[in-house]
Amino acid sequence: MSLSRFIGLALALSPLLGHAKPIAYQGGTTVMGEYGAGTMQEYQAFYAPGYWWSAGVGHLRLDAEDRRYTHEITYLRANLLAKRWNLPRAQANVFAWGGVGSARGSDFAGNETAWNAGGQIDYETLRFYSSARSDWQYAQETFSHRIDTVQFGWAPYVHDWDRLATWFVIQGRHYTGGLYDGTEGAALLRLFRNSRWGAIWVEAGITQDGEPQAMFMFNY
Amino acid sequence: MLIHRIGIAAAILVAATLGFSAHAQNTPRTAEMQVDGLVCAFCAQGISKRLKRMDATAEVFVSLENGLVAVQFKPGQDIDDAVLRAALTEAGYSVRGIRRHDESLDAVRARTKAGP
Repeated sequence: MSLSRFIGLALALSPLLGHAKPIAYQGGTTVMGEYGAGTMQEYQAFYAPGYWWSAGVGHLRLDAEDRRYTHEITYLRANLLAKRWNLPRAQANVFAWGGVGSARGSDFAGNETAWNAGGQIDYETLRFYSSARSDWQYAQETFSHRIDTVQFGWAPYVHDWDRLATWFVIQGRHYTGGLYDGTEGAALLRLFRNSRWGAIWVEAGITQDGEPQAMFMFNY
Repeated sequence: MLIHRIGIAAAILVAATLGFSAHAQNTPRTAEMQVDGLVCAFCAQGISKRLKRMDATAEVFVSLENGLVAVQFKPGQDIDDAVLRAALTEAGYSVRGIRRHDESLDAVRARTKAGP
């Protein structure tokens, strides 16, 4: 099977997204931001009182590809680790989350109550990473957006926690609600490093349309 | 004469006991845990922070490559296996086994870098 057919099949089978975990570890604070090819920008901050849950705030901006509208949503969210499998040299997780916030947009007046929900499944070893995630934003009679993403990552070497981790990631993303027509593919380079202040994650790449995509995460 | 010899023997015994005790106090005590699910640097950071908060911990070493977490204790101190296991379980990981030895963490690091 060719790589393109494999990715296409994976996208068809798994209409979801994946990148970072919404809960890093007990007592950890996570700050993250993502710029998604001119279509989405998101900033989040979470604190995890336990390894199985976290809560925090976020801000999401969605711009339609044809620039017909912009939606901005500020929200509160709780994340739950629903299931974890700890395996020798591997781990798999199922996360779910939900929350509520306030939305405003260029195509409607005032503020609307916006609900959000989503989930993520991932499987990771020291050399292979895969995840699928879906995020849904909904405001009654105003908008309904779902952002589905799947990622596959490969590390050229085994990283230990005192070394820089390098990953090559292929991503497919599908937007609903008139944000983007079709499925957006991207190739990304992910770098990860522990430091005395915390763990730093930086990811950058380009979509098939030549648009930049970037993400950062800091965990302490 | 006999009292003198008994005195010398007692002094030697006390010195030997003290010497052995000092040696035991100075020998590193390390607990080494085999852990499942240890694949990301976030895992290592969370585990390390948790174990370092314990009073008896001198130093922590995590090897993702070997699925290993090692804790060196402060001289004369120790942490019970059940407490170590609970710390790892409550951090979200599974402990397969714990063994104790007198190697320093530097020695454990060198051994794990050298491979199996």
